[in-house]
Amino acid sequence: MNGCSHLQHFIQEEEGLKTYELLHGVFVISGSDERRQAKVLNAFCHVCDKTGIFLHVCMHCTFFACSQHIREHTKTRKHSFAMDITYGQVHCSQCGDYVYEEQLDNIARSNALLGDDVKKSVLELVWPRLHVEDKDWCNKTEKMVIDRTTHIGLRGLLNLGSTCFMNCVVQALTHTPVLRDYFFTEHHQCGTKCLITSLFRDFYTGEKTPLVLNEFLHLIWTQARHLAGYEQQDAHEFFIATLDVLHRHCSITLSGQPSASANKVYRCSCIIDQVFTGSLQSDVVCQKCHGVSTTIDPMWDYSLDLTPCATDGSLPTSLEDCLERFTGAEILGSNCKIFCENCQSYQESTKQFTMRTLPVVLCFHLKRFQHLNDLEKKVSTRIRFPEILDMTPFMTNQKNDNVLHVQLPYDNKYILYAVINHVGTSINAGHYISHIRYQDRYWYKCDDLVVSEAGIEEVLQTEAYLLFYHKYCLEYR
Amino acid sequence: MSQKYYEDTVNSKLENKHAVERVSELVRVRLVECGWRDQVRLACRKLSEENDGFNNFDELIAVVTPTARAMVPDSVKRELLHELELILSNIDKLPSKK
Repeated sequence: MNGCSHLQHFIQEEEGLKTYELLHGVFVISGSDERRQAKVLNAFCHVCDKTGIFLHVCMHCTFFACSQHIREHTKTRKHSFAMDITYGQVHCSQCGDYVYEEQLDNIARSNALLGDDVKKSVLELVWPRLHVEDKDWCNKTEKMVIDRTTHIGLRGLLNLGSTCFMNCVVQALTHTPVLRDYFFTEHHQCGTKCLITSLFRDFYTGEKTPLVLNEFLHLIWTQARHLAGYEQQDAHEFFIATLDVLHRHCSITLSGQPSASANKVYRCSCIIDQVFTGSLQSDVVCQKCHGVSTTIDPMWDYSLDLTPCATDGSLPTSLEDCLERFTGAEILGSNCKIFCENCQSYQESTKQFTMRTLPVVLCFHLKRFQHLNDLEKKVSTRIRFPEILDMTPFMTNQKNDNVLHVQLPYDNKYILYAVINHVGTSINAGHYISHIRYQDRYWYKCDDLVVSEAGIEEVLQTEAYLLFYHKYCLEYR
Repeated sequence: MSQKYYEDTVNSKLENKHAVERVSELVRVRLVECGWRDQVRLACRKLSEENDGFNNFDELIAVVTPTARAMVPDSVKRELLHELELILSNIDKLPSKK
């Protein structure tokens, strides 16, 4: 970084560095009492008397001004350089923009270490390393190179007798980036024998032998009695039961008391809710008075219908089709009249679901198992699903037309990281396998014990049952 | 007594009690926590694409500032007002600058 030629000239010919060091030390950092006093006395715009708005100081004379008036000053007086006293950046009036120079940056950084904590955070200085951390880092002698041939994090799972449904769900959960990272840290304070933490860590020991999840299975059985037994279960049901068990376990750990189930409290602060809970907005519009009645419910997963569309009999062919149908306006017929508060009578109405807030992890459940008149029928329609999914068209804001508030630049892109497939003709006879994304680029097929490489194209061709998407850009709420 | 006199008196009292620093630090932390700062960064990029890139910093500020101001959440504004009220009404009870 060499700034501009004007700046180089200023540094070489006019003692620019000394001037900068002085001005920066006094007015930007204000490290000592007298410097602070000097700043207070001088920091106001000489033209408009205002304080506190992006003030600058001229580097050639003792002139302070806000950003608007300093430009006028530097141009008319032919003083090239002005420094802003919030961040210490130098503006060159001949170039018409801020310029960056390495020597000035170094001066700024060494000055900044003398400032107080507030100033340091404004200037975004990293906090100094704690000596304790230094020791930890120095003592680490084991090094590992992560490349295409490392398989740390991938382990097969033994089938304990039709437990392939559990194996798939565990593979998907343990390879959920945000969840895995959480359980690697010390955030989950539950004692050394926590089953969940050891489950995550077991995957990453580096050993290649398959894991046996008998304790985990036992935990789910005792907590979700309806799933107990050695028969094959529905992977989706098992997934929801697992989330519920984890949610209860994590929220007890957090607060010491069992919290209400996910449906009563919108979103508790346990990691499961933070990661998996989104909210669904349901708008019921009365056809007579056009009054809208809105409810918002928390959702952990989205079950998508694969039956032919009611209006035109068309079958969905892609995930986006299913989502369009899910969030499209549905006309509730004359035998499903809803009580309208406005009209005080039962009226025909339309109902529409839209995504109000999206979770970090989206789980889509394609309803392939139909219970029709006691018959178990599997819907094997091929549904195309993308690797990258943009949820923007299904959001509440997009569907409504009253965009009164400023559109926040939220990113709604999600990236596929796990797919659970059911192979077979019916729910009771069949086999579950999963595909998971590994090291952000590679895919592996997990068939109980056997973990093998797979290509993304192969994954996208499978007949998916459960799809797991992870938010691409993480944001604050 | 002129407006300027009142302003100066209030300002010097605030300055003596670190009030302005307290409030601005609070606002800064809240704006980072609620994601406003990152949203403004995204908005800068988006507006830069729409405008075919900015010629200099002043142009960027001119274009982005109205959007950025509108994006500040109400909760932050409310907290700021509340904090200011608390400070001003208790100005004499606060510890002074050394």
